Amino acid sequence: MTKKDMKNDPYEIIDEWGVSESDYQVIDEKAIERITLGANILATGGGGDPEIGLKWAKNVLEEGKDIVMVQPEAVPDDVQLACAATLGAPVVLTEKPPAKENTRLIFEKMEDYLERPIDATFPIECGGVNSPIGYAVGGDFGLPVIDVDGMNRAFPELQMTTFATQGVPATPVVTIDDHHHCCIVDMGEKNKVAEDIVRNIAMKYGGISWIGCYPMKGKELKETGVLHSQSLAWNLGKTVMEARKEHEDPIESILEFLEEDRGIPGAHIFTGKVMDINREFGSETTHGFSMGRVTLEGIEEYEGQEAHLEFQNEWLVAKIDDEVKCLPPDMIALLDPETGEPIRTDLIRYGYRVKMIVMPAHENMRTPEGIETFGPRYFGFDEDYTPVEKLLGVDNDE
Amino acid sequence: MSIKGKYRIGIDVGGTFTDGVLVLEEEVVAKTKDRTTSDVTTGTINVIDNLLNKSDVDPTSIGMITLSTTHTTNAIIERKGLDKVGILRLALPTGSAIPPLTGWPEDLKEALGGKENVEMVPGGYNYDGEPISELDESLIREKVNKMADSVDTFAITGVFSPVRPDQEKRVAEIIREEIDENIPITLSGEISTISLLERENSAILNASVISVMNRAINAIEDAMDSRDIDAELFIMQNDGSVIKGDQATNYPIFTLASGPAASIRGAVFLTNITDGALVDVGGTSTDVGYMVDGFPRESMMTVEIGGVKTNIRAPDLTSIPLGGGTIIETDGEDVKKLGPESVALDLQRLAKSYGGPMTTVHDIAVAKGRLDEDLSIFSTPYATDPEKAKNIPSKIVDEAWKLIKKRVEKTIDEMKTDPEDIPAILVGGGSTVVPKEFKGTTKVHESEHSEVAGALGATLAEIAAYAENVVDLEKRDRQEAIDETIEMAKNNVEKNGGDPEAADVLDIQEVPFSYMPGEREKIRVKVKSKFKGL
Repeated sequence: MTKKDMKNDPYEIIDEWGVSESDYQVIDEKAIERITLGANILATGGGGDPEIGLKWAKNVLEEGKDIVMVQPEAVPDDVQLACAATLGAPVVLTEKPPAKENTRLIFEKMEDYLERPIDATFPIECGGVNSPIGYAVGGDFGLPVIDVDGMNRAFPELQMTTFATQGVPATPVVTIDDHHHCCIVDMGEKNKVAEDIVRNIAMKYGGISWIGCYPMKGKELKETGVLHSQSLAWNLGKTVMEARKEHEDPIESILEFLEEDRGIPGAHIFTGKVMDINREFGSETTHGFSMGRVTLEGIEEYEGQEAHLEFQNEWLVAKIDDEVKCLPPDMIALLDPETGEPIRTDLIRYGYRVKMIVMPAHENMRTPEGIETFGPRYFGFDEDYTPVEKLLGVDNDE
Repeated sequence: MSIKGKYRIGIDVGGTFTDGVLVLEEEVVAKTKDRTTSDVTTGTINVIDNLLNKSDVDPTSIGMITLSTTHTTNAIIERKGLDKVGILRLALPTGSAIPPLTGWPEDLKEALGGKENVEMVPGGYNYDGEPISELDESLIREKVNKMADSVDTFAITGVFSPVRPDQEKRVAEIIREEIDENIPITLSGEISTISLLERENSAILNASVISVMNRAINAIEDAMDSRDIDAELFIMQNDGSVIKGDQATNYPIFTLASGPAASIRGAVFLTNITDGALVDVGGTSTDVGYMVDGFPRESMMTVEIGGVKTNIRAPDLTSIPLGGGTIIETDGEDVKKLGPESVALDLQRLAKSYGGPMTTVHDIAVAKGRLDEDLSIFSTPYATDPEKAKNIPSKIVDEAWKLIKKRVEKTIDEMKTDPEDIPAILVGGGSTVVPKEFKGTTKVHESEHSEVAGALGATLAEIAAYAENVVDLEKRDRQEAIDETIEMAKNNVEKNGGDPEAADVLDIQEVPFSYMPGEREKIRVKVKSKFKGL
């Protein structure tokens, strides 16, 4: 172990920043379980199985390391941040769990390239496996984890973040292979080109790459990130777990929480049974993504109606009786009516009963650059983006 | 080897009762239910004795005994009699952030010998078969010798070993060279599929119950010998197929969840229907399973046992709290609630049919006339006061009956994979408390002996095997890759005692890898075959 590995202590760092007690939280096992569940709901049906990330984070805690989450307001403008994540095929990740050295290498190589130390980290997405991984690497390398992410959901590509759409480049990206080799991609503003290169690197590495990306200053993070998205996931997970314990309707609890505590209108727009799943195969049509369409037949108060969902790893477009109800980047979750457990696009099957809820994307996601980067047309849908609250006719501003 | 005797015995060990049947071809010659004993083995031998006594069949004419047992499940749950396991993971430099036994309950870790016998060494493959690291044989010899005195058995797990098993096999050879040619060794690639941590857990658990299974099989074979039974002993597995007793000692983990699989095979025995829903109604709950080509469909969910997540697949089963003893809450002449509470074992004290105060599903069936005679498996009458049940207001009876029907229909519908109507088979001690017709089914089949369906299912000795392959379809022909996987599965069926020539393909699954360009996919093939000696 190098001296660097021993250097970091998240408490020392936040002490240096002068973070007050109300501006940070200690993440224990229960907290990481809640954050992971909440992030899985926000993952919009994609993001991969979070299990490996959760196990890693728990193991970091079991080793006696501290994971500390800090509010973005408490982050000084000039500190250096970067995030660590996995990019590639989630199924490979389930077979090839991470190496301890990855964390150290991701940050060390990034530090060497930037020629300055990294002071803190954050999960790139608040959804799927990269969500708990953000905490595992923060805890393992001894960096505070900031309550922020770049999308408040899961998206499949590197450039699909509010950081990138607001001018913070994804690169330099540090990519680490199984043998601790490193390839650094520095493409300036060319985020999509960087995505293509990094994805090919991941293939050459055996299906996944460990990456460090989005190096930025505290000021940039606060200006371009989706702030408090980690707290949102945490409280969302907590709400569902408590509802289960009290035998309350978890979906009602989710909607109440979003409305009352967060001021985000979430809406339960459909209850149905999966009648058909049409998955597309072949790289020419799918470009390596899991694509398809799900048909739901309405049940209970939705009897007689039909819903369609288009997916590309994540749920993207929801229609009820051929009327568009939700477009990306607004969020769709299909939840198990009994447990509130989110159902991923790769696991959904005929016969599942689901409740569909939709949530508006964060305002930083809805900028013209955002809609260009992850709006309906980017995913090949011939629709202009209309916010979900307008589609549902519940826009209070009108 | 061939099976000489014509008679077959099937035994199904349950939580409370051990069921046994003696059959000659399709005919049930004798059946019995005996208390399950805490050691399981005694109860099993009692059942064999009961069957011999009841039938007067010459023990030498029994050709095979098949057992669906809970020996291994009990041992893991109770942490009793477990072997000390040497754990080797071939993965470095990957995987070190989540070492073996992460997340296991402390007492179970201790029962297996704790963390001291865990070693991570260089090894493993990528999905395309390229090695992550070559084996460092001298290092492995050193680690193995270090553990030699403190372990009874080894579990070896290599990255992507279901795709390339050779490193795991080489390490097994090294262990045999270094320690003992006969030491039991579990290779993860022979146990289950992609997903390293769960496969490793499954392999470690498998290794830990090898002696448990060995002792059980020896005891039963001794008992067979002393009764002049010269039969082949088979063990039921969780996919509904069977494995020879001596093979089962290598793969005891597959006996987990074999009970529900046996029931589904029993439904096939009783009706000759191979595709449809199985509705198994008990006193407090109803299980709905699904069979495909005569075998239970696999669940997406995997078995969690003793606090450890495995990736052993259980039969797909939905359990709902609806059985004969389920309580119906009423308000005047309206049904307020159907279950989930149940009178459980107090049916004869509490239910209206027996003069009691409570309305249960059993009473509704009596009032409806669905249940109007004593059942041979129960020593008690179906009702001592049927009039009291018949006096339940007809509005309540009809409403409750409709609710019961709907509950089962909803569950059957959830188990289907497409909207087509399917046959349903009604089994279990409580099968006469639910209607005989369900929406979404072509027909509901009922038959005699359904109360011992699990034991009957055990008598159908069919051997199944899987194989898995990860391929890049840009580099390889799809059909060629599938054919290769089928060959791999046929090799496996032969290893399990089946006839590869007579093997039928049961299922081919192709799962594309997402978030990855190219056309990489996982191919999984399941085949079945008759036992080679039959």
